[in-house]
Amino acid sequence: MGIISVENLDRLFWLGRYTERVYTSARLFASSFDRMIDVEIDNYAAFCSQLDIPNIYLSKEDFCSRYIMDETDPNSICSNLLRAYDNAIVLRNEIGSEPITYIQLAVYDMKKSSATRAPIVGLQKVIDDILAFWGIVDDMIENENTRNIIKTGKRIERLDLFGRLQMDRISIQREVHRLAGRITKTNLHYDTAMLSELQKLVEKEEIDYARVVELADHLRKD
Amino acid sequence: MQELKLTKQSEIVNELLARYGVKFGIYKNNVFKEQLFPFDTIPRVIEKENFAHLEQGLKQRVMALNCFIRDVYGEKKIIKDRVVPEEFVYISSGFLAPCDGVTPPKGVYTHIAGIDLVQGKDGEWYILEDNLRVPSGASYPMIARELCRRSSPDTFEDNHIEDNRYYAKLLRWVMDYVNVGGHTVILTPGRYNAAYFEHSYLAEKTGAHLVSGNELMVEDDYLYFVDYTGKKERVGAVYRRISDEYLDPMTFKEESVIGIPHIYDVYRKGNVALLNAPGNGVADDKGIYYFVPKMIRYYLGEEPILQNAPTYLPFYEEDMKYILEHFDDLVLKDVAEAGGYGVVFANKMTRQEKEDFISLLKKEPRRFIAQEVIDFMDIDILEDGEKTPRKADLRAFVLMADEPLVWKSGLTRFSRNPDSFIVNSSQGGGFKDTWVLSQ
Repeated sequence: MGIISVENLDRLFWLGRYTERVYTSARLFASSFDRMIDVEIDNYAAFCSQLDIPNIYLSKEDFCSRYIMDETDPNSICSNLLRAYDNAIVLRNEIGSEPITYIQLAVYDMKKSSATRAPIVGLQKVIDDILAFWGIVDDMIENENTRNIIKTGKRIERLDLFGRLQMDRISIQREVHRLAGRITKTNLHYDTAMLSELQKLVEKEEIDYARVVELADHLRKD
Repeated sequence: MQELKLTKQSEIVNELLARYGVKFGIYKNNVFKEQLFPFDTIPRVIEKENFAHLEQGLKQRVMALNCFIRDVYGEKKIIKDRVVPEEFVYISSGFLAPCDGVTPPKGVYTHIAGIDLVQGKDGEWYILEDNLRVPSGASYPMIARELCRRSSPDTFEDNHIEDNRYYAKLLRWVMDYVNVGGHTVILTPGRYNAAYFEHSYLAEKTGAHLVSGNELMVEDDYLYFVDYTGKKERVGAVYRRISDEYLDPMTFKEESVIGIPHIYDVYRKGNVALLNAPGNGVADDKGIYYFVPKMIRYYLGEEPILQNAPTYLPFYEEDMKYILEHFDDLVLKDVAEAGGYGVVFANKMTRQEKEDFISLLKKEPRRFIAQEVIDFMDIDILEDGEKTPRKADLRAFVLMADEPLVWKSGLTRFSRNPDSFIVNSSQGGGFKDTWVLSQ
């Protein structure tokens, strides 16, 4: 019918956010884990602080296991993937069965990765599944508005994460630029003043990262 | 039939089914869990001539059932003529007083009928029950066939099998036939319903919009879908996958939070079609099942093509006598239960249980039916790579628009327990594809 309900609009948006959160946090974990193996063994505390998540972990091993796999830890990669799945599974009618299969595969691959002592290998498959999901979103979802809502969620999440991680100015500028190009193509209600402020903010010499995160999180008005 | 190449691909097919999320939901200790629906690659095969016989019988049965529902909520001739006792109609939990005098668009009540059958060892098909409210299951053989073709194309080149892809078109045809103007939607109770996969899959395949109750609203006797901008679009047909009692809190259960207030008023005024029609439960009551052969004779003037499993109603003195004399040979079913629950095999009861059951039977004769245990044909399944026989039934789907049409496929469910006749997925059963041969 080509029209989207309030519930589905929200689910599309959060599908974009959660898939991005899984993707970026898995990649970030992979690079941090590499250093934790032999150089910065207790670096997980800094990792938590960077991502602004509570450090509830007892050791490097506890962190590596629970941050990836613990379904009861709302900040774990697995937990975020399950939230992506929760949104995807009720969107078959909007996005089709094929894209959902990649989220389902990511869930299976995530569960398989728990059985290994080399978590990055398993996580790489999850990252591949998410990338394939985004590819198929572009390729198979006919409704442009549907695609743009998912991508807006993805862009907002990435900007939020990059802001928290205090990424370099060029990266933040690029994400703001991409977000501005995307959100204006949707029928989402958003705060135009906030978007302009974001665009101006990233032109400054010193970036106010806290404000970037705040603006990203409150940009959508629905 | 020679060994199928498909059976060597069982693992691949089941991996694909998992990837496509072919699951059903189940509540265990009040916790919702999604489970994969185990699929067995050995199909049930029905010869062309045999299916032609089944098809005629199924059409006949569903036409008679549709006539019965129209009559019961209309002129009530079958009651006046004492073919079906009024006690059985009016005390049935499926009889809904608000449906009295209401005729659905185009007079169709049984848009989608799921008729459960078993094949006896003599080759004869027996009807086990008629499901006329919200029968589920068509999506499973639809997607399983597609994934089997993908896994073993040779199998489908080597065998002449009726194509089952057209179910979605058939369903859409029925929806469009009764649509009174506006969009067609599939109404789901939501993600935590046992058959949610099916709801979303059928919506995708038919192109109907999948909605939950809070996305629909009634205004000025019309039903609307409301989008996120607040724009309202009229809805002309609702394939509802929620039970009658939860459909409209203003007419049925007032505590329902998944229904749409006043949708029944819209329906009563002819401004929306509901598939299946509310009130159909009066015809698929296990007690009414006994009378279906009589309905066929009464409404169509024909002899039934398909037989019921031999059934006795303790309500009738003569039948009660038979039940008590042959108690150990019978299976007893509580007419209010579904999903394989409320079914007891007398020969498995202890002496005390038998005594208790018989006294209950005498106290509440309308509550139960008794049936002969049909020695139905076993079908092979693959277990650890070996073929082993199991009990299986068939759910055939009959769709009704201006005429009934039988889908040349169906859901074959089997028991995974060698000692059990219960095939329901909620009780651990699996499923098979149903092949109807085209030559």
